[in-house]
Formats: sequence, C-alpha cells, structure tokens
Amino acid sequence: MLNEIKLNMNEMPYPPPKGVIEAAQKGLSNLNRYTNPKELELLRELLADYSDVSKKHIILSAGSDFLLREIIHVFSRGRKVIMVNPSFFPTVQCTKEFATKLIKIQLRPSEFNLDADIITSETSEPSLMIVDNPNNPTGKILIDRGMAEAILENKDVLLVVDEAYYEFSGATFADMVEKHPNLSVVRTLDKAFGLAGARIGYLIAGKNFLDAFSTFVTFLPQSSLYAAIEAMRDPSYIKKNIELVIKERERVSKELEKIGFQVYPSTTNFLLIKTNMPDVARELKDRGILVFDISNQWLPGYIRASIGTSKENNIFLSNIREILKVHTQRGSKL
Amino acid sequence: MKKKSTGGHGFNENTDVKFILISKKEDREFNLRRGYSMKKIGLIVNPIAGMGGSVGLKGTDGEIYKKALKLGAKAVTPRKTKEFLSHIKSRKEISLVVAPGKMGETYVKKFNIIFKLIGQMPKETSAEDTKRVIGEMLNDGIELLIFVGGDGTARDVYDAVDSRIPVVAVPSGVKIFSSVFAVSARAAAEMVDAFIEGTDLTEEEVLDIDEDAFRDNRLASKLYGYLTVPNVKKLLQAGKEASSIDKSSVNSKNEIARYIVKHMDKETLYLLGPGTTLKAITNDVGLPKTLLGVDAIYDNRLVGIDLNEKSILKLLKKYKSKKMIVTPIGGNGFIFGRGSKQFTPEVIRIVGRENIIIVGTYDKISKLDCLRVDTGDYEIDKLLSGHIKVVVGKKEEMVMEVRC
Repeated sequence: MLNEIKLNMNEMPYPPPKGVIEAAQKGLSNLNRYTNPKELELLRELLADYSDVSKKHIILSAGSDFLLREIIHVFSRGRKVIMVNPSFFPTVQCTKEFATKLIKIQLRPSEFNLDADIITSETSEPSLMIVDNPNNPTGKILIDRGMAEAILENKDVLLVVDEAYYEFSGATFADMVEKHPNLSVVRTLDKAFGLAGARIGYLIAGKNFLDAFSTFVTFLPQSSLYAAIEAMRDPSYIKKNIELVIKERERVSKELEKIGFQVYPSTTNFLLIKTNMPDVARELKDRGILVFDISNQWLPGYIRASIGTSKENNIFLSNIREILKVHTQRGSKL
Repeated sequence: MKKKSTGGHGFNENTDVKFILISKKEDREFNLRRGYSMKKIGLIVNPIAGMGGSVGLKGTDGEIYKKALKLGAKAVTPRKTKEFLSHIKSRKEISLVVAPGKMGETYVKKFNIIFKLIGQMPKETSAEDTKRVIGEMLNDGIELLIFVGGDGTARDVYDAVDSRIPVVAVPSGVKIFSSVFAVSARAAAEMVDAFIEGTDLTEEEVLDIDEDAFRDNRLASKLYGYLTVPNVKKLLQAGKEASSIDKSSVNSKNEIARYIVKHMDKETLYLLGPGTTLKAITNDVGLPKTLLGVDAIYDNRLVGIDLNEKSILKLLKKYKSKKMIVTPIGGNGFIFGRGSKQFTPEVIRIVGRENIIIVGTYDKISKLDCLRVDTGDYEIDKLLSGHIKVVVGKKEEMVMEVRC
C-alpha cells in the first residue's frame, strides 16, 4: 500500500465505526449470494427515514454517479442539458457523450455566483439542469430554494441537484420532491459517512423520474449493503466526524491565508485554493501528497485540497511552506 | 535581453522643433503648486499607436505609419488618452510631468491636473525620442510612468525604465499582447488610483512581437522583459497564450468548424476574424484564410480577403444579412479591441450583437474567467457586455460573461 496522503478525492479521512466494518465483513461471508431484496428494502426505509421523505421516492444505486449517468441517458434526448463549469467531472464527460446539446455556464472568481437571469433564460425551454449544490470544486452553494422554485415552475424543465456534500453544508431540497415531480436529489454515503469504498448512492426522486426508473433493478455488493444498513441504523457517528472536518477546514484555510494563498469559503470537506505557483500540485505529489489540480479543466492556478486528519493537514501545510520557500528563492510569486 | 527600437515613430504636428525648457524658477513654482505630498507621475503618449488597425495594417512600427496615413487611418490615441485621464479619480493627488504636444501635453491641458512639460520633440519623432524623454522624466524624479501605446511602445518603455519605477500601460496599439497592459483605458485609470492609495507591485511581461511576421500572417513572439506595475490583477490583461496545435485541439477546432459550416446560411455574409479556429472554418469550406486578418464569405465563396474597416463597411452595405464570427484571444479573452482592430465600433454597430458568433475550443474558453472587449468606444463596449454563448463543440456551448 502506498504511503501517500490523499487529499485529492474529497474522502472522509476517518474510518467508519467498528460496527459498520464488522457488518461489511459479515457481507463478505455471503459473497456467493445475490443481495436479498428484503435487505435492499430495509436500506431504502432507513434512507427515507434519514432524508425525511416517503420510501417510494428512494432509488438505490452502486454510486451516485451511476444514477446521474442513468438520468442523462434517459432524459437528455430532446432536451438540452444545463450544467455549470466547473462541475463533477465524470458527470460532465457523460453528458458530453450522450446529450443532444450541452450548455455550460462558466463560474467566475471570486464570487462563483450563478446568475439568476441566465438560469431563467436557459430554462425557458425543455431542459435538464444538473447542478452540484454545494458545487465541486468551489465549495459554494450555487442555488437557494427560491431559485430552485423558480426553475421548477416550468414543468418542461427537470432539475437534478447533486447533494454529495449535504451533510457538510446542511442545505437540501429533498423536502421539495413531494411537491415538485420534476425535481430529484442525488446523494451518497461516500463522503460524510466515510463509505467511499462501499459506493452507495441514492436518488430522492420526484414523480417524473420515478416513472422512468420503474424498471430500474438495483443489486448492491453484499458488503456495501450490510455496511450501509449498519451505518444508517445509527448515523449519529457522522456528526463528530463532520465537526472535526469543519474545524480542521477552518484551521487549514486560515493557515493557508497566513501563508498568502487565496482560499475560498467552503461548505464542504474540501478547499478551493488559488495559487500562482506553477506546478504546485505536481510538487506536492512528488512529496507524496495528492491534491486535485483543476487547471486542466478550468481557470489556471487553482487546486482543490480535501480536508484530511489533523496530522495529514499539518504535513500538507508544512510541505506547502517548504515549496513556497523554494519558489521564493527562485523569485516566483504566490 | 535583446533591445531594439520599433515603436513610437511619428510626427509631432505642433512645431518643427519644440524646445521646452523649464527654468529653475518654474520648476520651484511647479513643486510649490503641486505640493510635496502629491505623487509626481510621468505621462508619455505614442500618438500613432493603433492607427494601422482599422486599415488592416496590423501595426504602425517603422515606415508602415506613413502607409496607414495614406490609407486614411485616424489617430486612436487621443480618444484613449482622454478616456483614461477623465477616469482618474485621484487627479488632485497627482502632478504630471508630460512630453510636449501630442505626446502628452495636448490631452493633459484639457483636464484639471497640475502638470509641467519636459523634453524636446522634433517634428518627426522616433522611438529614441520616447526613450530620451522618459530618461529626462526619470531624472526629474517621477515615481510612476504612464504610457499610452501598444507592444512596440512597451518595449521602448522597458528599454528606458527597466525596473526602476512602476508603470501603468494604457492599451492603444494594434498589437497589445503583453500582460503589462491594463484591460482598458478605464482600468488603467483605476490602476493609477490604486497606486495613489498604495498597492503592492508586481512584474508583468513585455512581449516582443515580430511585426513583419505579424503582417505576414504569422504571430511570432518572445519575452522581451518585465516591467513593474501596480498589482491589481483584475485590471491587468493576461498575456496571449499560443494557439494549441496538439491533436485534440485541432480535432476540436475541426468539430467546431463542421458545426458552423453546417449551419451557415447561403444568403448571409460572414465576416471571419483572425485565428486558427476561424481558419478551420474556411478549411472546411475549402477556402484560404488570412490567419491574422479579416476575410468574408458569402455563399461558400470568398468575397473579401484581409479586409480593412473601409472594405468591411462596403460589404456591409452590399449584403442585407450579415454575421461576424470571432474567437477570443487565448489567455486574456479579448474578442474585440486586440488583434482585430478592423472590427471597429462602427462595424460592430452595423452587424449587431445578435449577429456575432463566438467560437473557441473548450480548452481555451474554460481557462478564461470572462470575455473582454475594449473597442475604444465605451457605448459599444457596454452594448457587448453581459452574457453570451460561445460555441465550443458541435453540440456544446458555454455561457460566458463579456466585460469591458
């Protein structure tokens, strides 16, 4: 196993509780069997309870990106797809491949606001709007309830909100699904629940989506299913981990600002950092620290760093300082 | 660093030779009037910068200036300089040291700014005169130098100033690819205000654009040096990024070209701006393209090659339906006001915002935080501002903000 510090995939740095790991191990002992439909139903019930919606709205999947792909496959024909740029990269790639037409709205620093006038104008015709809220990689909440209500007024528009970081931001539209058949919310247990390796995603679907998913059959890996059920039976463990991540996020942000970087406010478990140091992501990688270099897909000079454990964050910060020192000696700027 | 003189040639129409000698008494009076808390700032204007643009000459370095005059080129610097001066808010906190006549004095006189003249100017000025006058300004103790011009002027300023004092560069040339320039005359005024308020300084690039190569349809540039400027990133233009020639970029351009050609209306005149993405469009139709100039297509036929403003206006009169296709400059996002000066405010006004098609590869567009315009006419710049769609693929568009 490589001894790298992984701050490039927005994972939870703390493992799930012992009970969840034991449940996953129990699932492994059933590897010769397909998942039991009753256990799938149990997970749906637990997720519905957690999300405070009726069970009929819950659709399970092995990863939320799989749900997004399915939505794009089914709903992008004859509709244009509206997304923001930058956005969750796999979703963008899938949309580029399958959509009839893709409209991307470029987010601008330093506010990264989504202009309501553009949204009104673009959603005046049949369309599928997919927005990650909070946005990855800016960490910002892009649409509020008022804007969502305005979008959903046009029944020819389907709105899909990716709430992968809901547990960190606290902002959700799940409760609006009952009223709005053209709304769906995508969530995951990858992030706050610390189950990235289990790949459990779920859709809180409005009626228009439910109809399309009526023939959708889900099978989850046994170990993932057992781990997810155990996690959802007592989800209170995530509270402490989230608090730790948020506390560390604010500390790392302040430290980076002290060093002289521009760091943007985040409602997630990662930070968007502006730097003029060329190749800082590569230099960190050479030192065994992985961060995500966004320059390849967006504006130059931005990296995204997930929040790790306190120890990992300290190593990240001290390496940043060392790299900066080398750059300063070379005469380059922050 | 190689040093050569190419920018800043032209005529000073005031006198044959104008000698302005400031006596010690006058200098003392100037100092008393300006007050010792005021910042002493030099201003030098290249009066012929930008003149080659509208007549399609892609520059005014060397003898080309005279050719531009013959073709009916009009001076663009006065408008830019006036716009710049009128938007400085800290006018009461600065005193200017200016070159005589159209190299500064003519414009400053009209504003309520304390100034004094320095240097002497022959009737026909050269880049050497620019450098000499800047040298005298430096000896006089200026703390900041403002210059109005293009890349050629920036090179002359670099030769004279190097990193001794900071500069503010007001864009007014045909070629304005160096990142030392402000995004517009108004932005340059804001930079002066920021300097007065007190801001950090940073170094920005001065590029050496080979004007003969440029005129010959090639963009050849190399780094000439660095000038120090007030560090207000949002007001500084980014330098031009070279066009990508990797396989995926070429494929993207071809994909855009096929999409555009497929949707071209045979009864519409298409004015195609400079750039390799536009060249991909003419390639797809099987026509040649002036890489750094403006060409026109109607019914899949070339009806204009390397057009200047006059010939564009003639075509616009002839054809009822018209569209303009442009691509932003990589790195800084300018769609009008840099590199394609033939698209003058008048041309843009006639074509209309709704008939402007913007194209560019996703790799180029996604790296821009906005598109920019600096046509020299603020009303037109405002008209172009707001959100606009850019075709980045056969079924893919990006909504970008246009700023001025």
